[in-house]
Amino acid sequence: MRRVAVIAGGMCKWGVRKASLRDMIAEAGKECFDDCAGLTPKDVDGLLFSSAFAEKNQFQTHGAPLAAELLGIKPTNLIGKVELLCGSGTAAIHLAYTHIACGCSDVVMVIGADKLYLPDKRETYWNIQAACDRDFDCIHGLGVPPPLFAMIAKKHMKQYGTTEEQMAMVAVKSHRNASKNKFAHLQNIVTMDEVMQSKRIVPPLKLYDCCPVTDGAAAVVLACEERAKEFYKNPVYILGIGQASTHKNSANMPSFTTWEHIKIAVPKAYERAGVKPEDIDVAEVHDCFTISEIIEYEDLGFCEKGEGGKFIERGLADFGGKVVVNPSGGLLSCGHPFGAQGERQAGELFYQLRGDAVNQVEGAKIALQHTMSGFCSDSSITIYGRES
Amino acid sequence: MEEKIYWSSIDLFPLETEEHNRIFPFYENLRQGRFTTTKCKGCGAQPWPPRVVCPECMSDNLEWVDLPTTGILDTFTVEEIGVPMGFETPLIHGLVKIKDGLTLFSRITDAKPDGLREGMKVKLKVIPIDRNRVIYAFTPEK
Repeated sequence: MRRVAVIAGGMCKWGVRKASLRDMIAEAGKECFDDCAGLTPKDVDGLLFSSAFAEKNQFQTHGAPLAAELLGIKPTNLIGKVELLCGSGTAAIHLAYTHIACGCSDVVMVIGADKLYLPDKRETYWNIQAACDRDFDCIHGLGVPPPLFAMIAKKHMKQYGTTEEQMAMVAVKSHRNASKNKFAHLQNIVTMDEVMQSKRIVPPLKLYDCCPVTDGAAAVVLACEERAKEFYKNPVYILGIGQASTHKNSANMPSFTTWEHIKIAVPKAYERAGVKPEDIDVAEVHDCFTISEIIEYEDLGFCEKGEGGKFIERGLADFGGKVVVNPSGGLLSCGHPFGAQGERQAGELFYQLRGDAVNQVEGAKIALQHTMSGFCSDSSITIYGRES
Repeated sequence: MEEKIYWSSIDLFPLETEEHNRIFPFYENLRQGRFTTTKCKGCGAQPWPPRVVCPECMSDNLEWVDLPTTGILDTFTVEEIGVPMGFETPLIHGLVKIKDGLTLFSRITDAKPDGLREGMKVKLKVIPIDRNRVIYAFTPEK
C-alpha cells in the first residue's frame, strides 16, 4: 500500500447562492487548484464526484464527467460518482484513498456539490423525502431529519441528563468559529439567550440546534506520496479510515443514544492510523444538530458515555480544551449541502495540519473527520496526520 | 375505462399493486386492517420491513405473518416547520413499539400534541392515498 496525502482543498461560498450546481462546482474546483501552487488539471488522473440531490434537484445524472469537463480534467485512471447522502464526500475520499494506495491512480480530485435552494423551497423538502426508507419511513412525511434528532435528543436527555443549555453551548461555539470563516453560510455570533429563545422547530430542537439548508460545493485533491512531495516537503497524510453502516429502516436502528456505526468504525480508524482518541488535536464532526455533536464526543471516545453534555460545558471541545471540535463552524454554521460536506471537512482539517487555517489550532498534528448519513445509518471516519 | 398512467418518480408513495411490486400482499393485507410482514420458512427469521429474500439465510421461501395492530407510544415529537407538502401542520412523529424488538417510526394521526403521552396505547390506522393505494399510521386508542 502506498501512502496517500491531501495536497489541496477549496470550497465556494456556502449559503443561499445565486449560482447553479455547475457554477459552484467550477468555483470550488478553482479554489482547490488555487490552494496548491503549481497544481493544474493536467496533474489530475482521477475524479470522483459526490452529490446527494443532483438527480432530483437539477435533473442531472452522470455528474462526474460534467465536473471533470468544467475543470478541464481528463481522467485517465478513475472517474465516477459516489452517493451516501450526507456521507457522500467522505465516502468518495475513502474510495479515492484506496484507489491511490493500491497504485491504480496517482492524483485524484474529490469534488462534491449540492444545490438545495430552488425557486419553491417546498421542492427540496419534498425531494428530501427520498433520503430515508422511502416505502416504509418516508411515507409518514419524514423528510428533513429534525424529527429523528428531536427524538434522539429527548432520549439522551432522559438517559444521561443532557440539557438544552448544553446543546445550546454547541451552537454558540459553532457560530463563534464560523464568524471568521468567510465561506460559512451563517457567520452571525449568537448568545446563549438567543439560542435558547430561538424559534421552535421540533421540540426540544430550536432553530440554532439545527444546521441550515445550504447551497455549496467543495473539493480536495489526494495524491500518492511521490506526487505529494513535488508540492510539499512535509505532506498531510491520510493515516487511517473506518466506515460502518448498521441499518436503513428506522425499526432496525440498534440504539438512539449510542451510535453503533461510530463504535464499529472509529476503533478501526484509530488502529489503522496508530493513534488513540487522546491524540486527536482537532476534529470536524457531523454536527447536523447540536445533540449529534454531543453524542459524537462520546462515541468517538473523546469522553465517557453520557458525559457529552459536560464535555462541552467544561470547554473541553473548544480551544484550550482536550480536542478542538469544528473550528470551521461545522454543519451548524457552514451549512449542509449534503454531497459536499465531506470535502469541506477534509479541506478544513488539511489547513489545520498545514498550519494556515482561519481558526488555527496551534501545533495540530493529528486530525479526525466524522461524517454521518440518513436515519443515523452510517459513519465515515478519516484520520489525517502530519509528521513533525 | 383506460387506466391512467402517472409519473411515479415524483410520487412520494410506492407502487403497491401486483403489477409493480412483489410485496403487494402487504398492501392488500393492510387494506383489510392487517399489519403483516414476511417470515422465512427456512430459518424462521421475521424481518421488518417485509422482503422477497430472507436477509439471514437467502431463502426465498417466505410466508406472510400478522404483526400486532396495537402498540405503545415510546416517544414522539411535533414538527412545526418544514413539513412536506400534503402533510398537515403540526405533523406528529412517533416511535411505536408494537412488540419486543420491533419499534417503528410512524406518523401519529387524529391526535393533538397535548393529548399524547409517552407510554400510551396506539393502534394501526389505514389511510387511503388514492383509488388503489393505502398507507399506515398509528392513532391513540380511544
